[in-house]
Amino acid sequence: MSPEPERTEINVSPLIDLVFILLIFFIVATSFVNEVGITPKHKDTASSSSNLEEPISFDLPSSGQLLQDGMVIGLEQVAPLVRSNSSDKPRSVLVRVSPGARAGLATQVMDQAMLAGAQAVKLSPLTP
Amino acid sequence: MHQPLRKYIPATITQSYFQMRARNRLIESTDTDAINVSPLIDVVFILLIFFIVSATFVTLPGIEVNRPQAVTGKALEKNAVIFALSGDNEIKYAGSTVQLEEVPGLVEQASKDKGKPVVIQVDQWADASILAKIVALARKKSSDVSIATRKPRA
Repeated sequence: MSPEPERTEINVSPLIDLVFILLIFFIVATSFVNEVGITPKHKDTASSSSNLEEPISFDLPSSGQLLQDGMVIGLEQVAPLVRSNSSDKPRSVLVRVSPGARAGLATQVMDQAMLAGAQAVKLSPLTP
Repeated sequence: MHQPLRKYIPATITQSYFQMRARNRLIESTDTDAINVSPLIDVVFILLIFFIVSATFVTLPGIEVNRPQAVTGKALEKNAVIFALSGDNEIKYAGSTVQLEEVPGLVEQASKDKGKPVVIQVDQWADASILAKIVALARKKSSDVSIATRKPRA
């Protein structure tokens, strides 16, 4: 049995303490935000071909109604309207909102339009 | 029990050997069966690295809003600049109320030229024209602007 070289053990306890504190900090600081949502995509630089095509526009006046071409429609009619108007090629949808209109309704109109396969959805404010 | 050894080993070595034995016995008697912490440290380090890597540090608006329902809602990017529009038409960012004009500046400041997406948490009873204005302003600075929704209950 040869004499072993003198071994000095490193005290790892402070290291573990520090690592635990860091671990707890990162566990607490990590926020797992799981957000679902819609992204109303529209091209700002529209090409000339798509520029010719008028978007299907929906109006949301302050009364809380939903108008399409001056007629009051229901939310469930949005998807069929978009679908029938874009039978040959997908069209873009414009949602014009007046002050006083509800954001929930505007979002649902955009959602229905995207469900119907609208090429682009734009939300635009109307000044009274 | 080491008595026979002593006869054959030079005195100096014997001395140090027995001193060592004595010391080791002393250590063993004080902390009996020291737990091997190396695997624990390994696991803790792996957890630490996981949490460091997954930490994104998003600044939350600080209010809870009643999101509108949408069937086409998709999972959004986690590392986003989040604004909230409350039911009483206040724009919230990082716990404080901000004005509409401040939105582009805040988006630019928060995304730090990395082009972070923008998420707007909108209350379903908020004013849609303000929402439209926020979307329009945020779009000037970020190409990806989304509206947070919730899945309709089946």
